[in-house]
Amino acid sequence: MDLHTKLKILGAAAKYDVSCSSSGSSRKNTNGGLGNASLPGICHSWSDDGRCISLLKVLLSNCCVYNCLYCVNRAASDTPRATFTPDQIAQLTVNFYKRNYIEGLFLSSAVYKNPDYTMELMLSTVIKLRKEYCFNGYIHVKAIPGADPLLIDETGKYVDRMSVNIELPSNQGLKLLAPQKNKDSIIKPMEFIYNRILQTREEKKLFRSTPSFAPAGQTTQLIVGATMDHDLKILHLSESLYKRFSLKRVYYSAYVPVTRHPSLPIIANPPLLREHRLYQADWLLRFYGFTAGELLDEKHPNLDTELDPKSSWALRNLDLFPVEVNTADYEALVRVPGIGVKSAKRIITARKHHMIDYETLKRFGVVVKRARHFITCRGKYYGERNTGGTDLRYLLIPGTVRKNKTTTPGEQLTLQALYPHAFTGIDIFTTITGEM
Amino acid sequence: MIYYIYDGSFEGMLTAVYESYIRHECPEKILKGDCLQDNLFVEYVFIDTDEQKAKTLYDAVKKKISPGAVKCILYAYLSEDKEAGTAVYQYLKLGWKMGKQVDSAIAHPWVFQIHTLYNKVRGEAGRMLGLIRFNLLRNGIYYASIEPDHNILSIIAHHFKQRMPRQDWIIHDVKRDLAAVCHDHQCIIIPFEFDGPLPLDQQEIDYQSLWKEYFKDIAIKSRINPKLQRQNMPLRYWKHLVEKPGAAKYFYPK
Ligand code: SF4
Repeated sequence: MDLHTKLKILGAAAKYDVSCSSSGSSRKNTNGGLGNASLPGICHSWSDDGRCISLLKVLLSNCCVYNCLYCVNRAASDTPRATFTPDQIAQLTVNFYKRNYIEGLFLSSAVYKNPDYTMELMLSTVIKLRKEYCFNGYIHVKAIPGADPLLIDETGKYVDRMSVNIELPSNQGLKLLAPQKNKDSIIKPMEFIYNRILQTREEKKLFRSTPSFAPAGQTTQLIVGATMDHDLKILHLSESLYKRFSLKRVYYSAYVPVTRHPSLPIIANPPLLREHRLYQADWLLRFYGFTAGELLDEKHPNLDTELDPKSSWALRNLDLFPVEVNTADYEALVRVPGIGVKSAKRIITARKHHMIDYETLKRFGVVVKRARHFITCRGKYYGERNTGGTDLRYLLIPGTVRKNKTTTPGEQLTLQALYPHAFTGIDIFTTITGEM
Repeated sequence: MIYYIYDGSFEGMLTAVYESYIRHECPEKILKGDCLQDNLFVEYVFIDTDEQKAKTLYDAVKKKISPGAVKCILYAYLSEDKEAGTAVYQYLKLGWKMGKQVDSAIAHPWVFQIHTLYNKVRGEAGRMLGLIRFNLLRNGIYYASIEPDHNILSIIAHHFKQRMPRQDWIIHDVKRDLAAVCHDHQCIIIPFEFDGPLPLDQQEIDYQSLWKEYFKDIAIKSRINPKLQRQNMPLRYWKHLVEKPGAAKYFYPK
């Protein structure tokens, strides 16, 4: 099989892995070898679905002995199969890298023969790249659940980032859809990687020559919408993964129906809006000081699809507002809808010199259209007065224009429900910049 | 009303600012020679670039304000914005008063403008680190052409020098007829004019098509979103991308 066909099969098979980030590592160029890593990461292109391409994302093999129902590569599926040799992957990576197409390699794989065998092949690929090709670019390797910890340990020494996919948010989900996997086979390697990263960090303090271990940390990914699990459960899971294993990121991937099975939900399109809301909520957990329990509760276990999670939270907590931008502390500022991390920092810096006025807020990137209902500026309130929670809600939903007072909320709702995608474009951007 | 006119070089811009101090004048604007308009009420003063004066000012900014301020005015210059000279002049005026505090006075319009220019230039340079595409030529040189909005060549050259120390490469800004040329661990920026078919290496064609196929296959069909794609990767950069139509017209492979 020629290289073009292999890349076609094994590139396409890897596309459902969301993570493509090349951040978190500052690997240096050594001995005149090729490449280095850039700490914030670099995007090289954006594919037709708008996602960033940073790494050459391929599977080593898509021949799988497992049978996860949601996956095209499952053993029982009738799909073209291919397997790269380690040298083919190394050549592709290096040649793409020299042309500046990519930041490095993201290597994943189906379970080819057995977990150890697969992991060994992945290990020899990264060793080849680092030693034979003197490649210092970014490498992210997926640890295969069930592989010998020794192999995972060895691999971690050569790569920048490792990840183990959670796949589904609950053990029941796994039992139903991925019968050969279970919580233990996923959590154990995660815990192992976490401990090795910690240990290496400690040793590095004593001996600078300690070899690094996945310096860019670990991440994971889970599929949203293949099981009945609600958003609260997912956010609690993410929260504990961030806390317990210091994960760098949890990626959410809207379930894309590629096969049919009685245990799988029947949907026409992947739940993109829900995925988007989860990313927004995830940002709130990581950068805005929110907890999962603040954003959702047992009575409202799912994120509001019409409204971003921060606005939704603010509407339920109107008693905390308005806050005065000239005096409120940072934590309170970033909780205002329409004020992001960047604009909050700007406000804090600038007000050391001058009182801030309303015009300046606009220049600082505050979305005043939203924020004005929740702030005062030099004591003045710019929002609409006498609006209760429900009215405010309609003011905040992007894309709704209140033509006149007689419009009933019901009509607005149906519009939203009919064209959810019309409302995603505007704030999709916010996911990328993290500003909300 | 006095306008100072400089020759378009960074040193020229600095000299103009410096001259205003010696002459005790407050020019309304500091402009490049190529953006003059006839105006009855304006007196144009042409400034001769003087490297010594420029250096004196440069060092003073570094010492009395901050190294960060030096970077700010350099990037503002590289933005090639019409107002850059004036903004630098006003920003420094405030800088002498406030010292290194000046960069936190971001509510101040001139400081804000300098920071905006700075961020534009930095943003484009950062983006370009990813968007540059090298083409391997038959003589073993990796060649890339770019047409950035701002004059960012000098900023990005360093990145590639560190990343590919053993590779011979050229990054050619076809809009400004400039190129960063790197050979044998040495990197220089020189005037560079070239437009003609470039002879591509044999394996280059193969890798380009591998990349193009990969690029096409990696998109998830049910998520196609051209708007988002363009938001992240504006159309004006596509011309020089291998994976997007338009790239091939620069090369005539044999
Ligand atoms: S292990 Fe499951 S998800 Fe992974 S490739 Fe095999 S079938 Fe697909």
